Amino acid sequence: MHLTPDERWGLIEEISRRTLRFGIHKHTLKDAIGDFTVKPATGIPFAIAILFVFWSVFTSFAALITDGFMIKIFDNHWLPWLQQHFPGGPGNWVYALMVDVGQRQGDAIVASESCFDSFGVLTSGLFLPIGVVLPALLIFYLMLSLLEDIGYMPRLAVLIDTFLHKIGLHGYAIIPTILSLGCNVPGVEATRILETKKQRFMMMTLLAMFIPCGAQIGIMQKVIPQYIGFIMLYLFVGYFLYGFIMNKILPGKTPEILMDVPAYQKPLGRSISKKMWMRTAGFLREGVPFVMLGILIINVLYIFGIIEFLATAMAPVFEGWFGVPRETAGPLIAALLRKDLAIAQLGAIEMTKYQMISAVVLVTIYFPCIATFVMMLKESGRTFLGSLLALIIVVFTYGGLLHLIWKIMGVA
Amino acid sequence: MQSQHVFDQKSALYMAYFSLLGLVSLSAGIVDIIVSVSGAEYSAGILEIPNSGFRGVWGGLVMVFSGCFYLSGIRNSNEIHQFAKVVLGSILLWIMAGTDIFAMITGSIPSEDADHWFNTSRSFVDAYAPPYTPAVIMLPFSLFVIFYIRKYRLHQSVSIHPATD
Repeated sequence: MHLTPDERWGLIEEISRRTLRFGIHKHTLKDAIGDFTVKPATGIPFAIAILFVFWSVFTSFAALITDGFMIKIFDNHWLPWLQQHFPGGPGNWVYALMVDVGQRQGDAIVASESCFDSFGVLTSGLFLPIGVVLPALLIFYLMLSLLEDIGYMPRLAVLIDTFLHKIGLHGYAIIPTILSLGCNVPGVEATRILETKKQRFMMMTLLAMFIPCGAQIGIMQKVIPQYIGFIMLYLFVGYFLYGFIMNKILPGKTPEILMDVPAYQKPLGRSISKKMWMRTAGFLREGVPFVMLGILIINVLYIFGIIEFLATAMAPVFEGWFGVPRETAGPLIAALLRKDLAIAQLGAIEMTKYQMISAVVLVTIYFPCIATFVMMLKESGRTFLGSLLALIIVVFTYGGLLHLIWKIMGVA
Repeated sequence: MQSQHVFDQKSALYMAYFSLLGLVSLSAGIVDIIVSVSGAEYSAGILEIPNSGFRGVWGGLVMVFSGCFYLSGIRNSNEIHQFAKVVLGSILLWIMAGTDIFAMITGSIPSEDADHWFNTSRSFVDAYAPPYTPAVIMLPFSLFVIFYIRKYRLHQSVSIHPATD
């Protein structure tokens, strides 16, 4: 169909007449609230409240599902059933790899009582991703999707953009950071929203070191509530300090981004359920097999005594460099599986409050848990070795710095 | 003109109410932080400020912000941005109360006994009994802002499209 210019303009006028409404726009309450959530003076308090919701709902929900049901399912039913029916039994290497490594007491191997201790691919390997990480993911994905659909996430990104630009990241880096406060696994996955390799590398490394997961914070609150403020502050400072250093020394680009801030709107159930399904299915498909593989590797290292050897070999370093008792080597190895339980184990070791703060900081920064480790390996590919190197440097400098601070204060 | 005067008069009354709510929220937040930092617990009648450590400090801070929003929004509250601050103060209070109630719900469902999946009906009901946190106690009082939003919108629409007779 050929239209003359006049006919074309006529058509445009007709379409706009039918589809557009003209009038004076008066600022509504929704607009005013939208403005306040972006302005720093009012937006930061609001962001602190939203982060509180994230964390509080996460810990309550994780306690309900993991502590209330999953531990009972895995420890009281699944593990005993496998211990009874899986061929081989204690001492058999296939049984040890798949079900239960067992606890060595003298010459005898005693059956483990929980899926945390058993280290089997079918026990710990399933308990960790299904019993611990999945409930955390479900509630986090729900909250994240809700905030995205309401229109809050872009505002949070704008709000935090100035701070994060100082360390070479941008506003959207807040999403993996928040996710990691629940569980580092989805946090590492969420680094995909960052544009460049440099940004993704930096984000993953910072998450693995300085962002304690919800389970870890929860157990800190139970075991060492009086020190949690210092620990979080120290980690927070480390996040920015090492981010700043990495940004200066690493090659690569840190581009500016242009963010569209939509008006607040009512979330749609269908959109939220679709997003949740896509993200959860992605974790089940890609994350679970990797975690099981990670457990298998740890298990092999454990069976061959390499982990015990490392714990013994590293003990003098813990005492001399980090200023913590040599008994902390055990919990630090346990932290490969679950950092929250490693902190609980630290609570049972006799030490000064300064040593306790150092030990908990070390558990957080020294190495990602196995689930995060394998996700990092999968997501970062060839740059993973660089991440690992950065991690080792940070552990020694930042862990040692804390010991130095205590020494200067005369308390170490 | 007369309706404007009546609305202004009532607004003053409503704002006195919100300023009181703001003061209570601010005080509760400060006490929450002090209690959490000191490691003590505070309980009086149906009110309880548990020693929840890190959560207490963080939550206390949110209550303080809520109080500040209320108090900074009460002057010239007929102006939309000022009124939005009052609404933000209420939203922060709802956030606190909502998370406390959610924690109550999740804590009431599973049994602490390793042999049972669910709580007994008695323990379930007991989980909702007082004492409550300040945010939960203040929740019904803060809901008044919904009524005020409706009043405010109605007034705005009348101001924009005055009756022509």
